[in-house]
Amino acid sequence: MYGRGIYALRDVSLVVEKGEFVFLTGPSGAGKSTLLRLLLRQEMPSDGKVIVAGRDLARLSPGQAQAYRRNLGFVFQDFKLIPTKTVLENVALVPRVLGATSVQQQRRTYQVLKWLGLQHRMNAYPLELSGGEQQRVAIARALVNEPALVLADEPTGNLDPDLSLEIMDLFRDINARGTTVLVATHDRELMRHVGRRAFSLDHGRLMESA
Amino acid sequence: MRLHAIRYCLEEALASLWRQRWSAGLSVLAIAAALLVLGVFLLVTVNLDRAVARWSAAAEFSVYLRDDIAQDQRAALNAMLEGHPAVASRDYVSKADAARRFARDFPDLAEGLAELPQNPLPASIEVRLRAGRTDSATVDALAQQLRGAAGVADVRFDRRWLERLGGIVKGLAWAGWMLGAVLLTAAILTVATVVRLALHARRDEVDIMQLMGAPIGLLRGPLVAEGLLQGGAGALVALAALYGTYVAVRGRLTEAIGPSLDPGLVGFLPGGLVVLVLVGGMAVGCAGGYVAARQVR
Ligand SMILES: Nc1ncnc2c1ncn2[C@@H]1O[C@H](COP(=O)(O)OP(=O)(O)O)[C@@H](O)[C@H]1O
Ligand SMILES: [Mg+2]
Repeated sequence: MYGRGIYALRDVSLVVEKGEFVFLTGPSGAGKSTLLRLLLRQEMPSDGKVIVAGRDLARLSPGQAQAYRRNLGFVFQDFKLIPTKTVLENVALVPRVLGATSVQQQRRTYQVLKWLGLQHRMNAYPLELSGGEQQRVAIARALVNEPALVLADEPTGNLDPDLSLEIMDLFRDINARGTTVLVATHDRELMRHVGRRAFSLDHGRLMESA
Repeated sequence: MRLHAIRYCLEEALASLWRQRWSAGLSVLAIAAALLVLGVFLLVTVNLDRAVARWSAAAEFSVYLRDDIAQDQRAALNAMLEGHPAVASRDYVSKADAARRFARDFPDLAEGLAELPQNPLPASIEVRLRAGRTDSATVDALAQQLRGAAGVADVRFDRRWLERLGGIVKGLAWAGWMLGAVLLTAAILTVATVVRLALHARRDEVDIMQLMGAPIGLLRGPLVAEGLLQGGAGALVALAALYGTYVAVRGRLTEAIGPSLDPGLVGFLPGGLVVLVLVGGMAVGCAGGYVAARQVR
């Protein structure tokens, strides 16, 4: 609930199973980002519960909340890249700071950057990149840790249709390896291409489960 | 925290300090000024303390003899002083010598003294102590021993001015610590403000890292490190300035007193205090950094 009696989400009850690939759709302002923010524990529900892997997010201690977030891959709608760090530093930041300096981790970082066609832009700064490139860096950062759950907020909003389909294939790949994926998008074409379960939100209410 | 995390904190802190070098310089100066004031007080009191200890040992005292002192008592006194390691030399001042000295020092009163039926001035032994070789406890013990000896009327060991000087030194030290504490508190607040500015400049980055699950300690670490580095730099500046002041003052003293200035008399802070100033600066910086870092929750 935001401000005075405005509910961004109401009576939303949905269950996503481990290993599923689910779309969250709906017009702008429907509450898609709000739902994802609840799952990131960036926002707390004024009412109701958000339970991930059997744990109520509201009951996590600050330390547990940070550990929970490290197991998530989150693609922000506004990318949230650090402008003073290069592409490589942005992608490798948290794992490196946490001491994952293993060769395997480095190989993983390069692999993800290559998947997303960023291998030539590794030493560029985010502001030197196009919107589409920045979006791909944001996706690379979300995937580099091989998280158990990936949450993506309009991850193809700045990409051309071909690249969007490629990114969806990438999400499908990682889903095939057991990662649970939740993608918010208003692109029905894209959803049809991937052909997975979709929840539709409108004015903060869950309308259908197609 | 593991090693790479410490390295990360230091690197981030250095980068941030460089970005904000002007305001960071300001808080380095604030810390340096506070520590310099404290350091000057420490330097003055340490040296006065040293001088008091030295003068206490280097003083001389007079042993006044009773008029009816026996020959063997006099011999016992001489033996006591002869073998004592604190005693450099001694002079016997007879009653007649004392009267002559009095007449010389106070010519106006000399006539009155001469008219008295009997010379009232006692004979005495003036004892000069070895400078630097003895501590004041040894000297106190000797004075006490002499005071109790047979045939001794009194031992005059005028240390009141030294005690007063010792009291002044203590007062100075206390004032220095109080003033230092006030200035250091101000320095903590300055560092906190500067680090808060630094946090403000990279707030987005901190928020992003928080959303990516970075532990709180890792987000606060660079801010505390920033304070620590400012404090360390401030302490080094203060110590350099203090040493410069010390060398200059020492040069002036040598000029004024000449080469006869005892080289051991004026010294710099002992190593322990230098380390204390350095660690104190870092602690002050850390405290300021931590005050700012608490905004990251
Ligand atoms: N921080 C906020 N404060 C107040 N209202 C907000 C805030 N964030 C989102 N909203 C409102 O909540 C509703 C859902 O927004 P959002 O979740 O961003 O929708 P979507 O991502 O589907 O476009 C909108 O009406 C939006 O105006
Ligand atoms: Mg949105």
